[in-house]
Amino acid sequence: MRKRGQGLIALAFLAPALLCLAVLRIVPAISAVVESFYTESLLRGGRVFAGLGNYTDLLSNKDFRQSVGVTLLFTVLVNPIQVVVSFLLAVLFTQRAAGSKLWRTLVILPIATPPAVSAVIWSVIYRPDGLANGVLERLGLPAQPFLTSSGQVLPSLIVLLSWIGVGYWMLFLIAGIQEVPVEVREAALLDGAGAWRRMVSVILPLVRRPLAFVLVADTVSNLLVFAPVQILTKGGPNGDSNLLMYDVYTRAYAIGDIHVAQAEVVILVALTLAIVAGQFRLLRGDQ
Amino acid sequence: MRRNLLPAAAVVAAAAMLVAGCGSSGSSDQPAATDSGPATGTVTFTGTDNAETYQPVIKAFEAKNPGIKVAYTQIPFDQFNATMQQRLSAKDAGIDVYTVDEPRVSQLAAKGFLTDLSDLDGQVKTKFSAAAYKTNHFRDKLWSLPMWNSTQFLFYNKTALAKAKVTPPTADPQQRWTWEQVEAAGRKAMQSGGTKYGLFMEQPEAYYQLQPLAESLGGGSGIEGDDALTPAVETDGWKKAMQWYGATFASGLSPRGIGGFQTGPVFANGNVAFFVGGPWDLKIFGSSKIDWGVAPLPYFQGGKPVTPTGSWSLGINPASKQQGMARKFLEFATLDAAGNLATTSTTTIIPANLDAQKQYTPKMDAFSGAKTAGAAAITAYESEHTAVSRPVSVGYIQFEEVMGKAFADIRNGTNSDTRLQEATRQLTDAWKSIR
Repeated sequence: MRKRGQGLIALAFLAPALLCLAVLRIVPAISAVVESFYTESLLRGGRVFAGLGNYTDLLSNKDFRQSVGVTLLFTVLVNPIQVVVSFLLAVLFTQRAAGSKLWRTLVILPIATPPAVSAVIWSVIYRPDGLANGVLERLGLPAQPFLTSSGQVLPSLIVLLSWIGVGYWMLFLIAGIQEVPVEVREAALLDGAGAWRRMVSVILPLVRRPLAFVLVADTVSNLLVFAPVQILTKGGPNGDSNLLMYDVYTRAYAIGDIHVAQAEVVILVALTLAIVAGQFRLLRGDQ
Repeated sequence: MRRNLLPAAAVVAAAAMLVAGCGSSGSSDQPAATDSGPATGTVTFTGTDNAETYQPVIKAFEAKNPGIKVAYTQIPFDQFNATMQQRLSAKDAGIDVYTVDEPRVSQLAAKGFLTDLSDLDGQVKTKFSAAAYKTNHFRDKLWSLPMWNSTQFLFYNKTALAKAKVTPPTADPQQRWTWEQVEAAGRKAMQSGGTKYGLFMEQPEAYYQLQPLAESLGGGSGIEGDDALTPAVETDGWKKAMQWYGATFASGLSPRGIGGFQTGPVFANGNVAFFVGGPWDLKIFGSSKIDWGVAPLPYFQGGKPVTPTGSWSLGINPASKQQGMARKFLEFATLDAAGNLATTSTTTIIPANLDAQKQYTPKMDAFSGAKTAGAAAITAYESEHTAVSRPVSVGYIQFEEVMGKAFADIRNGTNSDTRLQEATRQLTDAWKSIR
C-alpha cells in the first residue's frame, strides 16, 4: 500500500514533464507520421489519403536521393573527424602544461556562439576576398572557391561545424579523462609506458563510456545540421551540400509541400536510428 | 556497456522527436469570416525591411487613430517567406498585417493565408495602376493591397569609367546601353585597374532581377499554360540569357561567392564599375564615398528593353483576432495617399498609390544630389514602356525557389543548358502536388 502511495506521488511530480513530453514531442511525432500518408492539392482543394505515395515520390526523386547520398557522405566524414579531434584536444588539455586552461577556454568559446552567428562569421571568412583567401594569398597559395565549388563545399562546412562542435564534445571527454584514477596513470608511468602507449592502452579504454556518448550524440546532432547550410550554401552548388534536414525545411516551408516533408522527416528519423543502432553494435562488438 | 547506452538512447529519442515535431500540418480550408475584434489595442505588423522604414507611417497612423498602436516585427528577407509559411499555416494570431510579395498572392490566397478584401475592389481599381490591381487578385477576388512599386537602374562608377577612358551611359531611355556594351566597358574598367569587377547585380540569384535578361531576348517569363503550371525555361531566350549570365561569372567580370545583402557594399566601396540595383539604392549609395550616376537598365543587342516591376503589398492574416484594426492600418498605408507616402520616406521605394506616386517621382532626382539626376524620368519611362510583372501562378512560390537555386548553380559554373533542363524537371515535380 505504501509503495503504491509513493508511486502516485512520484507520478504527480513527473506529470508536468510527461505532459509536456506528450504535447510537445509525442503528439507532433505521431501527427508527422499520419500526415505523411496524406496529400493536398491547391487546385482541387482538400486532403486526400495517399498511402505510401509521398514515400514513393520521394524515393523516385533525384534530388532526394542525392540529398541522402550527401548526408551519408557527410556523416561518414564529419563524425570520426570531430570525435578524434575532440579526444586529442581533451588529452592535450588535461596535461599539466602552462596555459592549458587558457587554450581550453579558447576552444570552448565557440559553443557560446549561436550556430547562425558562427555561419555569418564564416561567410565572411569564406568569401572570395575573405579572410581565408587572404591567408592563402600571404602564403603564396592560389585563392580557393570554398562554398561555390562542388568539391570544397562539404569540407568547408565540416571545418565550420568542427569549429563550433569540437569544444563542446571535448568537455565530456575532459570530464571522462579526469575521472581516470591517478594511481592507474602513475602505475602506467612507472611501468615505463610512453605518452602514446598511455593514451591508447590506459586512457582510451577507461573513457569508453563518455566516448560512446559523444559519438552517438555528435552523430545525431550532425544529422540535424541546418543553420549553416541555410545561411551559407542553400544546399548548393548543384545540391552538393543539400543535407537532409535542410531538404526537409525546403520542402516544408519554401516549396510548401508539408506532407512530402513529413514523409522525409520520418525517413530521416529512421536513418538516424539505423546509424545509431549500427554504432551501438560496433561498440558492443569491441568489448 | 548496457548502462551507458541509456543517455545516448535518450539523446537519439529526443532528437528524433525534435525532427518529427518540426513540421506542423497546414490546411487549405478557406477561413470563415471573423468578427472585426476590438477597436483599440496593438496591431502587429510583420515585414522584411528594418524598423526605421515603417516608423513614419506607424507614427502618422497612431496620430490619426488614438487608442491603436502598431508594433512592427522584422524578419530578414532570406527567411521571410519560409517563416511566414510556417507561422501562417500554424494559424498564428500573433501576426495581424504582413507584407506580401506580389507574385505570391495567388498561392497565399489559395492556402487560406490571406483575408478577402474584395469589398475594397472599386477603390483599388481607381487608386492603383492596372498591373498592381491585377496582381493582387486571385480567382476574381482581391486579397492584398499594393503598397510599393519598383524598377531597376544601372548604377555606374564615374571615377572608374573615367580612368578607363569610357564615356558613361546617359540617363536617356532612348539611348539605353546594351548588355554587350556594359560588358565591354566593364572589362576596360577592370583592365585599367579602376575596379576589381566589371558588373554586379544586387540580387544575383533572384528571379525578380534576372527575368528581364531572358525576357529581353524573347524567352518569356518561364511559366506557360492555361493554369500557369507548365515550365518554359528552356526557350532560346532563356538559354542565351543564362549562357551569357554564367559567362560573366566564369570570366571574372562578376564575383562569385558574394550573395544576399553583401552585394551593395561591393559597389559602394568602389570595387565594381556597373551595378544593377533598385530605387532604394538611390539613397543608400548617397552615403558612399565614390562618385556615381544612374542610367536605364540595359537590354540585349537585337532584343527589347524589359525591366522588372512590382513590390510588396500588404495583406491581413485570417487568423488575426483584430481584423478591424488591421484593416484600418492596411487602408491607411495603401489607399490613403499621405499614409502610402509615409511608407517611402526613409526607404526610397516607389509608392504604389497613384496620387502618392505623382508627388513622389519628381523628388527622386534629388535623393543623392546630382548623382541621382535622371532617376525620375527613367522611372516614369520604364513603368509606362518596359515594365513586365513576374508571372501570376498558383505555383509561383515553387517556381521562385527552384529558379533561385538554378541561378546560383549557373553562377557557380554549372552548364546553363543542363541546369535549365534540371530546373524543368524540378518544377514538374514540385508542381505535381499542386495540380
